[in-house]
Parts: sequence; C-alpha cells; structure tokens
Amino acid sequence: MRNLIRFLKRYSYIFLFIFLEGLSIYIISQNSFYQGSAITSFANEIAGNVNTKTYNISRYFTLGSSNEALVKENARLRSMIESSYVKYQHKTFQYNDTIYKQQFEYIDAKVIQKTINKRNNYFILNKGRVHGVTNNMGVISPNGIVGVVVNVSSNFSLVMSVLHQDSRPNIKNQRTKISGTLVWEGGDYSSGKLVDIPSSIPLKIGDTIITSGFSQDFPEGIMVGKIKNFKKDKGTGFYVVDIKFSVDYNKLEYVYIVKNFFKEEQVQLTKDIKNE
Amino acid sequence: MNRDIILGFLHFILIAAFQVFVLNGLNIFGYFNPMIYIWFILMLPTNTPKWLGLILSFLMGFTIDIFSGQVGFHAAALTLIGLIRPLFISIFFSGKDIQTNLRPSIAEMSLMTFLPYIASLVFLHHFIYFTIEIFNFSEFFLTLLRIICSTIITTLLILLCDFFFIPKRKLSH
Repeated sequence: MRNLIRFLKRYSYIFLFIFLEGLSIYIISQNSFYQGSAITSFANEIAGNVNTKTYNISRYFTLGSSNEALVKENARLRSMIESSYVKYQHKTFQYNDTIYKQQFEYIDAKVIQKTINKRNNYFILNKGRVHGVTNNMGVISPNGIVGVVVNVSSNFSLVMSVLHQDSRPNIKNQRTKISGTLVWEGGDYSSGKLVDIPSSIPLKIGDTIITSGFSQDFPEGIMVGKIKNFKKDKGTGFYVVDIKFSVDYNKLEYVYIVKNFFKEEQVQLTKDIKNE
Repeated sequence: MNRDIILGFLHFILIAAFQVFVLNGLNIFGYFNPMIYIWFILMLPTNTPKWLGLILSFLMGFTIDIFSGQVGFHAAALTLIGLIRPLFISIFFSGKDIQTNLRPSIAEMSLMTFLPYIASLVFLHHFIYFTIEIFNFSEFFLTLLRIICSTIITTLLILLCDFFFIPKRKLSH
C-alpha cells in the first residue's frame, strides 16, 4: 500500500499531464468543425470584446484605404439607384411591387479578428444573434466572396473563411457558364484552386470566376477571382485551375452578411425529395 | 521566490499579448507562422516543479487558443512540451546548471547549449501543433515545409527577444 502511494506520488504529474492533454483533445473534438459549444461562444464573447478594443485602435492606421474602398462602393451603388436611370418603359415600373419580391438582404459588419496564415482560417464579425445573424449565412465583401457563418454568439459571429479545407463553395465561369468547386490547399492566401471543371470546354487565362448561386448561401454573380493558370489532368478529364482571389483577405475590414429569405423553402424542397 | 512569481506573471502577460496582437496577424509567404509563446515555458527555471510546468503550459496554450478562435490546438501541443521539457533539460544541460535553479537564456549559458535546447523543443512543438491542426496526411510535404519554416522563424525570434530583453546580470553563484 505504501509503495502504491509512493508510486502515485512520484508519477502524479503524469496523471496531471494525461488529464490536461485529454481535456485539450476533448475540447478540440468538440469544436473541430462548427466550434459550436458553449465554451467557444463564451470565449468568443470575451475575445471579441478585447479584439474590438484593439481593432478600434488599429483601424486608425487603415482609415485612408478603407475610405477609398467605401467611396468606390458608394459611387457604384449610386450609379445603380433609380434616380440614375431614365425611365424608359413605364410599364415595368408600374407593376414593380408585385413583380419583384426581395430574396436577399445584407447585414453590414466589421471584421474584428481574422486569421489567414493557418491551414483553416476564420473571421470574427461584430454582428451576432441580436442583429439577426444565424448559422450558414454567406458572407461577402465589396470585392467578392468571403465565407460562411458557422457559429453565432449574442453579439459576435464566427465565419469559416474560404481559406479552409471544409469550405467548398460552388462557382462558375462568367463567360462559359460552366460550374465547378472552389477549394483552398493552404499556403498563399491570395490564390485558390478550382476542381470539377470538365476539360472539354476551353478556358482562357483571365476568365472571371463568380458564384453560381446553386448553393443557398450566396446570391449568383458574386466575384471570386480570375484564372491565373490552368492545366488538364490527363487521368480524370477535368481541369486543374489556379485562380487569384479578387479579395485581399489580409486587408479585409467591412463585409456583408447575406440573408436569404427563400432559404428554408429551398432547403425544405430538397429535404422532401430525400425523404421519399 | 516572490520575485520569480511576479516576473513569471509579467512574462506570461507580455508574451501572450505579443503573440495575440502582433504575431497572429502576421503572415509571411503563408508558411512562416511565428509562435513565440513557447518561450514562456522554455525559460521557466530549471527546477520548476513538474506539475506547475504542466499547468502553466496548459494555461498559456489555452489563453492563446481563446484569442485565436481555435480552441484546444495550442493547449494540446504546449502541454506535451511541458511534459518533455524536463527530459530535454537533463539531456542538454550540465548537472550544475540543473541544481542551481537557473533560467535558460543566453545570459546564463553559452549559445551552443541554449540553441539546440530551444530549436529541438520548438521543432517538436510545431510538429505536434501542425499535425493536430491540419490532421491530414495527404498534404504531408506541405505540412513539413510549414513546420520547418515556422521552426526557423520562431527560433530566430526567441533568440532575438532573449538577446534584447533578458538583462545580462552577473552570475550570483
């Protein structure tokens, strides 16, 4: 008995190690993809508050460039409002209310924390459940696609960036309309890869890649990037395409969270088919 | 003893803040991710109790985890380093160094003892960290490149910080 106690005393730190390591691995396994547990939400709440403070300091250094981006976007939006168009056909506007129904709404948000140098990257935004954000909403920036919301606390939300191995948004070539999937294989944050594009239809360097609108998260036509390089994969009959992202994820500051009013209807529709 | 506790507390805050607010935002070619917070564990006095070393490594790892939005990865890797650090100390340091409770730094020992100790533990930490984080052997060589690049930059950073911030006091013994 005494020997046993002495043994336990001598190697007690091993048990402590096993406990702490087990705890870490448990936390990882709980949070590996959706990071959805109470611990993470709580941690995000604290970290979010601290990061808001540091962000408030650091944003003064980038005021110039973000102003420029906002001015550009203002100009683009102003060119789209009704007053910049000549009323050409009275008929169209007359029935506006019944013809159009709003499908997408945009919630503006600021990025308060981001990673770009990991294999799997996330953003934290300063809008949360109280602002109407829910899981699986798409996130875009004025320049293009950003990611998908994977966890929401009351004032902050966690966004899985497109720089993530589980992020596989559906995209298409603006010119040929052929669709494929965007993946990111780590390393350089300014370039990604397209897969599942059949090699029967010719591509051009410089072709614009946009979102396809097939998934419910993103509207159609959001910029993704431009083709930088491509080659045929002889075995599969698909292209391997390198693209340059249109968004500089390192400088990302203002983003829009996309709310799709028809999403539940769309999801329900596919669910009904699966159930049959 | 009291001085050690206050100094340790100060180191903890400063190093964690440096890691979270400066280095986490840094990205050099996508492959160099400096992780200086390991330094806090590496510079603990040589006869720190093993249990204390483990708890401190877990706390440090967990703090970094919370602020980088990925819970568990840093804590798991650093706790393992906390366990094997005493073994590495007994391999790299002479018996006299271990008995006279010293803080591993360039001021206290020669660079030829200090560098292998730092570099090997940093490499091991990065190896564990990136293996857990990526958890995918299909990109093994990319991961290895990432590990090696990050090891180099972290080791250099620790040497630099050690050189500039740890005062060269006269040896008391």
